[in-house]
Amino acid sequence: MSGPRSLFDPWKIVQIGAWLILVALLIWPLSAILSASVIDNDTGALSLGNYREVVETRAFRRAFVNTLIAGFGGMTGALIIGVTLAWITARHVIAGSRTIQLLAILALVSPPFIGAYAWIVLFGANGVVRNGLAGIGVDIPPIYGVWGVILVFAMKFFPHVYLMTSTALQSVNPSLEEAAENLGMPPGQRFFKVTLPLITPAIAASALLTFVLSIADFGTPRLIGRDFNVLATEAFTLFGGELGGNPGMASALSMVLITISLVLVMAQRWAIRRDVFGGNMIRRPEMKRLGGWRSAWMHGLAYAIVLFGTIPAITAVLFSFRKTHGPVFQPGFGLESYQKVFAQVSAPIINTLVFSAICVTLIVAVGTLIGYLLARRPSTGTALLDGALMVPYIVPGIVLGIAYITRFNTPPVAMTGTAAIIILVIFIRRLPYAARSVASALRQVSPRVEEAAISLGCPPMTAFFKTTVPLIAPGILSGALMSLVTAMNELSSSLVLYVGGTATMPVRIYLAVIDGDYGTASALATILLVLTALAVLIAFRLAEAGKTGPSGAVKLAT
Amino acid sequence: MAGPLKIDGVAKGFGGVTVLRGVDLTIEPGEFFTLLGPSGCGKTTLLRIIAGFLSADSGTVTLGGERLDTKPAHQRDIGMVFQDYAVFPHLTVADNIAFGLKTRGVPKDEIAARVAEGLKMVRLDGLGGRYPAEMSGGQQQRVGIARAMVIRPKLLLLDEPLSNLDAKLRVELRDDIRALQKKLGVAAIYVTHDQEEALAISDRICVMHGGVAEQTGTPVEIYRNPQRRFPAGFVGTMNFIPCPATGGALALGGQSLRLTRGGDGPIEVAIRPEHVGVLAGGMAAPAGAAVIAGTVVRYTYLGTHALCVLATGHGEMTAQIKDPGAVQLSEGAPASAVLPCDRLMAFAATGERLDLAQ
Repeated sequence: MSGPRSLFDPWKIVQIGAWLILVALLIWPLSAILSASVIDNDTGALSLGNYREVVETRAFRRAFVNTLIAGFGGMTGALIIGVTLAWITARHVIAGSRTIQLLAILALVSPPFIGAYAWIVLFGANGVVRNGLAGIGVDIPPIYGVWGVILVFAMKFFPHVYLMTSTALQSVNPSLEEAAENLGMPPGQRFFKVTLPLITPAIAASALLTFVLSIADFGTPRLIGRDFNVLATEAFTLFGGELGGNPGMASALSMVLITISLVLVMAQRWAIRRDVFGGNMIRRPEMKRLGGWRSAWMHGLAYAIVLFGTIPAITAVLFSFRKTHGPVFQPGFGLESYQKVFAQVSAPIINTLVFSAICVTLIVAVGTLIGYLLARRPSTGTALLDGALMVPYIVPGIVLGIAYITRFNTPPVAMTGTAAIIILVIFIRRLPYAARSVASALRQVSPRVEEAAISLGCPPMTAFFKTTVPLIAPGILSGALMSLVTAMNELSSSLVLYVGGTATMPVRIYLAVIDGDYGTASALATILLVLTALAVLIAFRLAEAGKTGPSGAVKLAT
Repeated sequence: MAGPLKIDGVAKGFGGVTVLRGVDLTIEPGEFFTLLGPSGCGKTTLLRIIAGFLSADSGTVTLGGERLDTKPAHQRDIGMVFQDYAVFPHLTVADNIAFGLKTRGVPKDEIAARVAEGLKMVRLDGLGGRYPAEMSGGQQQRVGIARAMVIRPKLLLLDEPLSNLDAKLRVELRDDIRALQKKLGVAAIYVTHDQEEALAISDRICVMHGGVAEQTGTPVEIYRNPQRRFPAGFVGTMNFIPCPATGGALALGGQSLRLTRGGDGPIEVAIRPEHVGVLAGGMAAPAGAAVIAGTVVRYTYLGTHALCVLATGHGEMTAQIKDPGAVQLSEGAPASAVLPCDRLMAFAATGERLDLAQ
């Protein structure tokens, strides 16, 4: 005789719900582009013609190669800059290191497109800086072309590398480094032989992220690349072509883009396959105090990096206060751009706020529950779920946008042109980040805390809400604000999905830049920047509050 | 009063790895029962099955004749104390202790009274308003104990509650736990890998190894009369001497011994260090003892006693010398180990205890 072997667990319902959401909002739409890519546009028959055309057309072959160049170039640049900055700030006493961190985050969240535009204003054919340098006899080439694209990607994405790597650097057990030194290894070698291998998983993760972001970005190649076409720009042009477009080809290119990301994910997994460096933290690494020249050049380098990274944001703010007449800038300063924004284009501001608020609410609710599953209910099922959650990481926003339009254009679920479709696509794109950050916050809280509540008579769900949720609340909230930031700044998917009434601020900025209405673009970008910066600051405060005070004694037990 | 806790044939595996191989145990009401074993022996798994955080693959758990394993964890009415304390860091000490009472819907003034009583019980009077982060590890564990006790559970489970504390505190708190448990009369199951702790605190001990209950008995029985080789070696120190037997007879140090059952094959003779005597040059050997010649390889003076390790033809042997006086044995000096025959035990290659006779 034996009793029932599995007692009822409400988390099973959560798991089923999570799968339903993933299937409905991710797998089902993506299946639409897969099928569209293997169907002939004219005959409707099953064919590999689209793929053959990708291989045979010279422009597409070039786009493929260019995509790889942009991806690896952007990744390499971001890694060099990001790891350097992380190493300087995580291990040395640098005056104003909080400012550096804030500036890096500001660079990270600066509205898209305005970045590319600002680089043109400064370093383009008629760029302010370029002309200035020419005046003192220094000739630099204009920023256009492949090197420009790579430079912009590096400056745009290095903060990801910086943030992930400095966290890893701060949690390397200093005893390991001391052991290396004690065994006779000089500090310079030690960094490469001991420290670097230990933070490889973090570097590999950020490398993957910057690669995927680089190949998904189509605004930068468009504005700065000139004739440097990539798969993302080709797909967007093919799909958005005013004259009907070519959904089959756009889908085939999208599939190629997804495949490239997928291969990179595999490569990254392979690279960190031996990641067994459990962080058994006893104390934090020491910060080295610097003196003299070393201090000077480290400070100089750190500030140069972050200031260079925030140039687009600074330029946008400055230009938003320039006097304009129509779309043309005039000498002097004025508030015309803002007057115009509030008089003519206030709808996108409202849209952005409403859409992102709804989005974040959904993301927090669903992401917290899924994050719990990942962290506390490890099983084959949740491992699969975690794998499925990787999909939004590797599917470029533009591709997911195309998938949504293809799938939701006609019944059974027709919702193109609605606000819902924009909200849902941002929701699914950002959900994995929220779920994973909740999962990692949960791993800091001993599961015994919840078991204690259960043994004291709390049903499992109540125990979760009474003990675990209050403990990870600061983490959830700061994660929510970061989701808010990304939701407000989401462009690529919205650009495919918007109609007149559902345009958001990033979309409107993009349109203004394309129209040459830089005043409006700058003013909108500044407003977006201020909102973003506010959210980031509050998130920071919350994260800080979470580290101290009675409610933050989370690190207590492991 | 609840009846005995009965564990019948409980087995558990994790993805092909068997952790418990059918354990049967009975814990009497009011008893302090310890599961003792090395890490990986299955003791914590068994405890978590009783608590309801894991479900067994087969077997049953009953308390006073009532099935326990079919109830969800939160309805079992079992108090649990955790290794990492698991006090709620976002709640004050008083709120921590009141937690289980609130979920049970106990009236407010009774909660206040029982929390005060709980605080007094673990000697934390006046600290109810503090947060766990403001307390030492020992104090946090006291909160954990009070929290589990005030719900007046039918059973108290303690999962290595002292292993994160320093040595002095460990001794102090273990005496407190034992006293409290006896005062409240609740049966307790205590998990530890520390054999000294187990001997000090328990009414009965179950020594576990490889998912099997090797031996269950009082501390005296386990230490003085181990029934299997594993508990003999795990609890306290033991000298094992390989010694082949032929036709039920074996010879050791000039003495011939007989096995009352079992016959041939490699067996091990065992003896505690405190029963081994050391014979230095010129002294006469006592009667009825095996004498094995060797040399001193290590002599460690520890105040109340000294440990002397001898290298002999039968391997290394440790002797514990009581009240070691001025006589110091120098390393390399010839000395013999004296093994009184009535103190010798024998174990078969299967780990089974064999009876010896002279």
